[in-house]
Amino acid sequence: MNVLEVANLNKYFNEPVRNQVLNNVGFQVKAGEFVAITGKSGSGKSTLLYLLSTMDTDFEGSIEIDGEQMKGKPNRWLAAFRNRHIGFVFQFHYLLPEFTSLENVMLPARKLGAVPTGQIEQRAMDLLKLLDVDSQATKRAALLSGGQQQRVAIARALINDPLIVMGDEPTGNLDSTNSATVFGLFKELARERQQTVLVVTHDEDFARRADRRIHMADGQIVEG
Amino acid sequence: MKKRLTNIALSASIAATYMKAKLRQTLVATAGVAFGITVFIFMVSFIQGTNEYTQDVVFQQSPHLRLYNEIQIADQSLLDRRFPGFVNLVHHQKPKDILLNLKDVNQVLDVLQADPRVQAASGAITTQVFFRLGSSSLNGKINGIDPEMEDRLFNLSGKIIDGSYEEIAVKANSILMGVGLARQLNVKTGDQILVTTEKGGNFPVIVAGIFKTGLTDIDKQQCYASIKTVQKLLAVPASYLTEIKVKLFDKEMAPEMSRQLQARYNYQGSDWKKDNASLLEGDVLRRMIVYGVAGTILLVAGFGIFNILTMMIYEKMKEIAILKATGFSDSDVRGIFLTQALVIGAAGAVMGLLFGFLISYAVSKVPFNSDVMITLDHLPVSFKPVYYVTGFTFGILTTALSGYLPSRKAAKMDPISILRG
Repeated sequence: MNVLEVANLNKYFNEPVRNQVLNNVGFQVKAGEFVAITGKSGSGKSTLLYLLSTMDTDFEGSIEIDGEQMKGKPNRWLAAFRNRHIGFVFQFHYLLPEFTSLENVMLPARKLGAVPTGQIEQRAMDLLKLLDVDSQATKRAALLSGGQQQRVAIARALINDPLIVMGDEPTGNLDSTNSATVFGLFKELARERQQTVLVVTHDEDFARRADRRIHMADGQIVEG
Repeated sequence: MKKRLTNIALSASIAATYMKAKLRQTLVATAGVAFGITVFIFMVSFIQGTNEYTQDVVFQQSPHLRLYNEIQIADQSLLDRRFPGFVNLVHHQKPKDILLNLKDVNQVLDVLQADPRVQAASGAITTQVFFRLGSSSLNGKINGIDPEMEDRLFNLSGKIIDGSYEEIAVKANSILMGVGLARQLNVKTGDQILVTTEKGGNFPVIVAGIFKTGLTDIDKQQCYASIKTVQKLLAVPASYLTEIKVKLFDKEMAPEMSRQLQARYNYQGSDWKKDNASLLEGDVLRRMIVYGVAGTILLVAGFGIFNILTMMIYEKMKEIAILKATGFSDSDVRGIFLTQALVIGAAGAVMGLLFGFLISYAVSKVPFNSDVMITLDHLPVSFKPVYYVTGFTFGILTTALSGYLPSRKAAKMDPISILRG
């Protein structure tokens, strides 16, 4: 079953001059696949990822996630969809510094509001334990080290059990040990929980070990 | 619906965390709003209290509506009636020699006193006189009144500072004199004085008492006497009255009733709004000043809120982007920042109302002795709830407005440009 179907995707930047960054991109991703998107800077790989994340709505063509068309949906609908089905991990461990690690992880689930807060807290604690940062749960996020912050951010991405986990250079800022942990976790998510993982990366080693690699150049898919 | 509520609660809890992190700035902004509302409440209470007090003083002395006769030039000349449709020019018409008394005045008074809208109605006869003081003479006015009725209308007996009010009812040719006039004429209670009427007759009267209303115009010119005394002075019959004064239960009805009565009885008339137009106008202007000053202060407070939120939004651009990435919609983000503005506004407004009330209360206890306003011993302050409601609404509106612009900016922020770095 295809979780993600992209067809005839074109994207233009209008500033400073009109410039095509994605040229007729199309591909499918099955549930449980671990996909690495690679390519040089400016190849359009990050642009593609942000289109798939539903945050960028300015494109031509079709993006279907879980059978739902993303084109032309209102902001509120997309936000709710993102909240439920997409978990995002960024290169820079973006947490809300005034909140504790636990609160950061709980936030998307509280937004979803599907289960009572007590259960959310329990689940968040479990995730922090899984990522080995449960000892930092009650600390304010600003006080954590970079590696710890990134692991908290991953826990946050997983709290709503998303269909797709997306990452923009999730290991770009981590040392090799932390990098390996994150990679192992993604791999496990894909294999054991049938969650789809879609990661943009520069890391050749990381990309080679993924299930599938989509290589981009000049706004087109050249491999995968 | 439940989902909506939890959403609002979530936005509010995020807003609360942000405000706690910026506690000092939040407090300063709240204090700004509180200060604006305090000044508004205090000023409007004080000015309105003063307005009401002066109005009370004046309106105690003036009836809600008056009916009288006036010398009028006929708007149609004899020629017009003889040659209708022609252009008839008559230069410098003179009025007919008419009596200024009101026709059927006693019947009209009976009808008015039976009217359920009327609190009291009293007939009167007024005349201009000269008081002789040695070789010079002073201009004055004598009101012939029904002492009992007049007391019900204007609480006249409460304004007597010397002598006795009832005496004019029982003692012939006795008058009550305004304190200013008495001082100019150098007379005391019990003195006899000579008055000259318009027609030229001389008439001795006895000063039965001195009154002080607090209104210089009245105290320096007016005298009161019984109707009979004035009728005797003018040599007119007992049914001759020139004025009807009416006090209503609801003074707002005066203009309408005045129109009706004028049409029915063919009298001229006036009401308190017409008689005191300049005073009422002054009240409106003063109130405008209050709203202007309070508005300016609140505008400054509003700018404070605007600044804090704008700066906070610049600081938190990354976090806003994360919130959006994890599923918060544009309107959720707007809610987070708007909530902060509204909390500041509501807290500031409530504090402002409280401080405003306390200051007003303190001021209302300040002793104030005035030679002009004799019935005043403390500063006049009004405590009407409507000012507090207005103040609160005012505060919430300004803060909502000044919070809305930065909040909208946060809502419109594009998360990708921030997340991509």
